[in-house]
Amino acid sequence: MAFDLLTTVETGGCSAKIPPRQLEELLKDLPLPADPRILVDISTHDDAGVYKINDETALVITTDFFPPMVSDGYEFGLIAATNSISDVYAMGGTPLVALNIMMFPSARIPMEVYRDILRGGNDKAREAGVSIIGGHTIDDYPPKYGLAVIGTVHPDRIITNAGVKEGDDLILTKPLGTGIILAGHRLQMAASGQLEGAVSVMKKLNTEGCALMQKYGVRGGTDITGFGLAGHALKMARASGVTIRIEMSSVPLLEGVYSLTDLGCIPGAAFRNLDYTEGDTQFAEGLDYNLRMIAHDAQTSGGLLIAVAPEKSRGLLKELHDSDHGEAAVIGRAVKREGPALVLA
Amino acid sequence: MKTVDTRGHTCPAPLIMTRQGLNEAAADEDVQVIIDNPTSLSNVKRYLSDNRLEFTVREEGGLSVVTVARGEKTDLSANETEYCTTDEAPAHLGKRSTVVAVTSERMGSGDDELGTKLMVSFFRTLVLLEPVPSAVVFYNAGVKLGLEDSPVIEHIRELAEKGTSIYLCTTCINHFGIRDRLPIGSFSDMYQILNVLKDADHIIRP
Repeated sequence: MAFDLLTTVETGGCSAKIPPRQLEELLKDLPLPADPRILVDISTHDDAGVYKINDETALVITTDFFPPMVSDGYEFGLIAATNSISDVYAMGGTPLVALNIMMFPSARIPMEVYRDILRGGNDKAREAGVSIIGGHTIDDYPPKYGLAVIGTVHPDRIITNAGVKEGDDLILTKPLGTGIILAGHRLQMAASGQLEGAVSVMKKLNTEGCALMQKYGVRGGTDITGFGLAGHALKMARASGVTIRIEMSSVPLLEGVYSLTDLGCIPGAAFRNLDYTEGDTQFAEGLDYNLRMIAHDAQTSGGLLIAVAPEKSRGLLKELHDSDHGEAAVIGRAVKREGPALVLA
Repeated sequence: MKTVDTRGHTCPAPLIMTRQGLNEAAADEDVQVIIDNPTSLSNVKRYLSDNRLEFTVREEGGLSVVTVARGEKTDLSANETEYCTTDEAPAHLGKRSTVVAVTSERMGSGDDELGTKLMVSFFRTLVLLEPVPSAVVFYNAGVKLGLEDSPVIEHIRELAEKGTSIYLCTTCINHFGIRDRLPIGSFSDMYQILNVLKDADHIIRP
């Protein structure tokens, strides 16, 4: 029997993030650099930093790493790399090169697992056209893995949290619920097939979604990760000065997510995310409690949340469906800011 | 009093055990939950208040004991309509929930052309119903009515706008390979569909 990485952790993937409210508090006193070539920094809570090289090219720079969310080293490598690279796609960029970031307890876990993780990362990077050109390993327990990725984007075609316009439709490209399924799997509550569904979503690159965002002139977008659909939508709404309204009944869900949530299988990260959003969020009367919590489920390597002009949304959705994103759906829209920045209905 | 001991379990197991305990206990039985870590305590408290369940917390030798006092409230998933629909309830209190289960593209059997016409007529009339049904569930060939070029799609849209929840069976959608042609409704697994049907006071099957 191969080594089970899940025995090393209590919370894996993006569930292991620091609570968003606490993070904002910690970062607020750090001075932001004033270099005019910095086009995107953390002030808009975006997925990556963007640095202008010249009028044609800006660098997109990002890193992400986390403890295992699945048992198998190779699969963990695939998912972690997909997730790291996704931040470049979320900014509308083309990923080019990456560095491995690895923390690994060499005395406690067989070294083949180390190799498996790197092999997974490498395979996924190659699929995305990314060359891994170095890295860094520290002896540490539990293991953690991810990439630092560099990509490029045209400075006029950066996609950010701040680019949403009133009237835009919001499209989500992958079904929600990876955090809930992973928690259900740990507690042996998830039926077979449900974990596989989540894994296949987590290791699917957002390459096509990014290309389509550029094709349709999208300027507002992000990827859904640790702060959940609600947390990321709220960050977008705030950065863009609009109210985002999400119809939870339209949100695509992974098979089994709803029933697991109904049994109380709600990871702690969902409650942390709820603490973050509720001050600026209106929950429509009659909104199903389970759907409210699913909206706050921390996603590992989630889909893109795309704000697109309403006259273009049908075309974009059609092309997503044709490019192996069959579950992509219009889940809401941006409206004039009145009252709370986010409405979940 | 029913006791749920969650010691030694980490998130979200204590919440799941609490949920299970509440479901298993008798309707008027108090439930006491023993919790040994602050995160689980905070999540269980949040869950209970979100679901409008009254509780008290006391600290006991490094442990937290949450006691859920249960009046008449029973099943956590029970919604308001369920309390108001017993036979004795005066009619004016009863917000009776009607669910429509659509299992085929046509209404009735005998003549397909007639069946199609009847189904269109059924939906046209359904929109006028006061109040509109709480949900329409589509399964088997019924899911095809949710297609963009379906003769009743406008009526389904109108129902959704009036507050009717639209549920489409995921297994059926996959079976017919029509996932990307459904502009409306939420994709639902059997558990969700079964719950919608179970909670209905009336089920109409055209």
